[in-house]
Amino acid sequence: MSEPLTKLFMKVASVRSAAAAGRTFLESYPVDEIVQKAKYGKEALYPFSDLDEYGRALLGADISLKQATRFSTLDELVLLPPIFTPKRLEKMTDLGREPYFSDVDLETNIGGFRSRLPLTLASMGSTEVAHSQSPHLGKGAAEAGIPMGLGENIATVWGYATRQKASMPTFKQRLFAYLDHLHGPHGGVVIQQSVEDAFDELWNKVYTDPDVEPFVRKGLVAFEVKLGQGAKPGLGGETKVSREVARELKGKYYFPDDPDKVDQDLYERHSAPGTFTEEILRGQLRSLRNHFPRARIWIKAGPFRDLLPLFRVASQERIDAVLVDGKEGGTGMSPVIALKDLGLPTLACLKRINDARIEGLRAPFVLSGRLFDGGHVVKAIALGASAVAFGRPFILAVGVGGAKGVRNFLEATEVEMRMLISSLGKYRVGDVGQEDIGSLDRHLADALNVPFVYA
Amino acid sequence: MSEPDGSPPPDYLRTSYRHVRDPRMQKVLRVQAALGSAIREYLDGQGFTELLPPIIGPVADPGVRGAKQATINFYGREYKVMSSAILYKQMMAASLGKIYFFSPNVRLEPLETASTGRHLVEFVQVDIEEAGATYGDAMRRAEDLVAHVTGRARGRLGKELAAFERRLNGGAAPYERITYDDALRILADHGKEVPYGVEIPWSEEEFLSKQFHEPFFIYDYPRGSRGFYDREHQDRPGILKDFDLLYPEGYGEAISGAEREYEYAKVIARLRETGENPSKYEWYLDMLREGIPPSSGFGIGVERLTRYVCGLKAVWEARPYPKVAGVFSP
Repeated sequence: MSEPLTKLFMKVASVRSAAAAGRTFLESYPVDEIVQKAKYGKEALYPFSDLDEYGRALLGADISLKQATRFSTLDELVLLPPIFTPKRLEKMTDLGREPYFSDVDLETNIGGFRSRLPLTLASMGSTEVAHSQSPHLGKGAAEAGIPMGLGENIATVWGYATRQKASMPTFKQRLFAYLDHLHGPHGGVVIQQSVEDAFDELWNKVYTDPDVEPFVRKGLVAFEVKLGQGAKPGLGGETKVSREVARELKGKYYFPDDPDKVDQDLYERHSAPGTFTEEILRGQLRSLRNHFPRARIWIKAGPFRDLLPLFRVASQERIDAVLVDGKEGGTGMSPVIALKDLGLPTLACLKRINDARIEGLRAPFVLSGRLFDGGHVVKAIALGASAVAFGRPFILAVGVGGAKGVRNFLEATEVEMRMLISSLGKYRVGDVGQEDIGSLDRHLADALNVPFVYA
Repeated sequence: MSEPDGSPPPDYLRTSYRHVRDPRMQKVLRVQAALGSAIREYLDGQGFTELLPPIIGPVADPGVRGAKQATINFYGREYKVMSSAILYKQMMAASLGKIYFFSPNVRLEPLETASTGRHLVEFVQVDIEEAGATYGDAMRRAEDLVAHVTGRARGRLGKELAAFERRLNGGAAPYERITYDDALRILADHGKEVPYGVEIPWSEEEFLSKQFHEPFFIYDYPRGSRGFYDREHQDRPGILKDFDLLYPEGYGEAISGAEREYEYAKVIARLRETGENPSKYEWYLDMLREGIPPSSGFGIGVERLTRYVCGLKAVWEARPYPKVAGVFSP
């Protein structure tokens, strides 16, 4: 092939592959459903469109799957409402009237924070897609009264209090977009520190910052030890940065292309996964408690095969919460081979949480990884999670309508959870249990020790 | 000493140029100078060499509770201001054997420390290190030093101290030694539960200190509660060969010391407890890889010693230009 032809071919191929990646996301992720919720809030819970409206439509369960999945997901589980409901009787006795779904109490203690819902906004890092929208995300989450995570490398890449780029918020702006909009007793912020953030003592900076101090005193700040993430367990954080940023960060991260020698638009920036043994982790957790006695300590774990031993350490060290991110978890950047081949699916992680509960481990567990609706939350709780973290749904929602989009999406999700929990004859999150769930698949039913619904 | 809040009165620190001329403050400063001489007299007599302290370097002690290190721009790269000179102590014990320096330290402490009466952002500690010594040797050394210095204070400084109406204990070595586990038990017996594995919090430390009338040691802290450089017992994994000396009567921590980890492979695993990339500690790790002798040592804060000897309410009364967390002052 002549050179111009090769170039043309490459260009077409690159546009096609980008379009293919976008199409795959649109097809495999419930973008439309989330967009509707972000636009219309709880109005979006009913499947009416301009063509069918109430009174004219005939509706029933969709029995098809959008796509055959490679591995089992929470969508292969269903909730099993009973007709006999002693807990509904209790609630009726309390209220002196028949209870409705609006009577469900969703307030949950998540890792030392009071949350209005059993839901948190998952930690998002320095990647632009999350970072540029982060002030609206923070405001939306604060107004909804749920905890929010702040991921790795934000301060190191975008500056702690001084902007590295005029159009991008700093770490502190992102933090206070959330803290300034908290009202009432709900919420809390969970701050990660990568190996590279540790170089700059991010946590010490936060802990000694007079502006943050009142929130530390109120117990609204947690530090999260990140042990990998769903999309790339065992690999460090990855993103791309401009040459200017790359030059500044050169000493702290790994850059395959040296920004001082190679001239290109964007540079891959890798951070280290961090080396752990059980002893190192234990030492690190204790040091954290020592250094920051007034901060809560969370752990975020990727979908590792040794989750259960990790849960034991967390439980023994009285960690405030352990968040587990399944392999379907979202990411701003991850090698395709990692997305395809690394780690336990979210449902398998939930099984490990269930094992931990059976073993009597007490740590609160938060599950994440392609979870996006109220059904996912209630199913995760039924199998032992204390709460669930959403990531991508919030990014879509904020894209649709800013902070209002986040609130709308949460309103819809909240009503879903109320309906599902009340349908189980229960009115408190903590009452939802394994008896409330069944499996559409026999193997899965056996593995999870729940009924196979056709048996 | 029963003051629940050791915060400086508003505006007090801003006008330190005035307070240094108070006759009482002048006495404190003269006592402080005499304590410095007594420390040098003891250590020089024991064959120690006094060195000039380092002030800045690529890394400093990360094992400081909650405090942040101060960073300076060193020709485009970062240097830390010493939060403690621990790494340099090991460097110099490998050269001269028995060494010490009067080391100025800066620790940007959390704001909550402004009211403990025991924390300064800028202070001086006498840093002592001895090659070949065990932590038992270091405890005996610490005890001798404190006994010598307080003895001198009672004798030579008797007249000055009379002004503070101070009856000073601390002459009668050996001091009582209790383990970390004992300390937790004593606290638990008084209804103060401290979870195992955590350094004793400040208010509990003060309470414990009030239960004693002479200085006393707490030793064998669990791993994770102290810096990465405190050596682990070989036969008791998870327990460190380290100690604190506490002043009695609520004055609290005087000295922190330990036998040092000096083997490269152990240090690099322990360093991960800080969550950092060990590459940050390049020169130190290179030094360990090439080999240094085992050593033990400790640091004794000069302002805290002065506070104890003079019986002052708070440590910021023991420095002419005190810096307290969050307060901008001369």
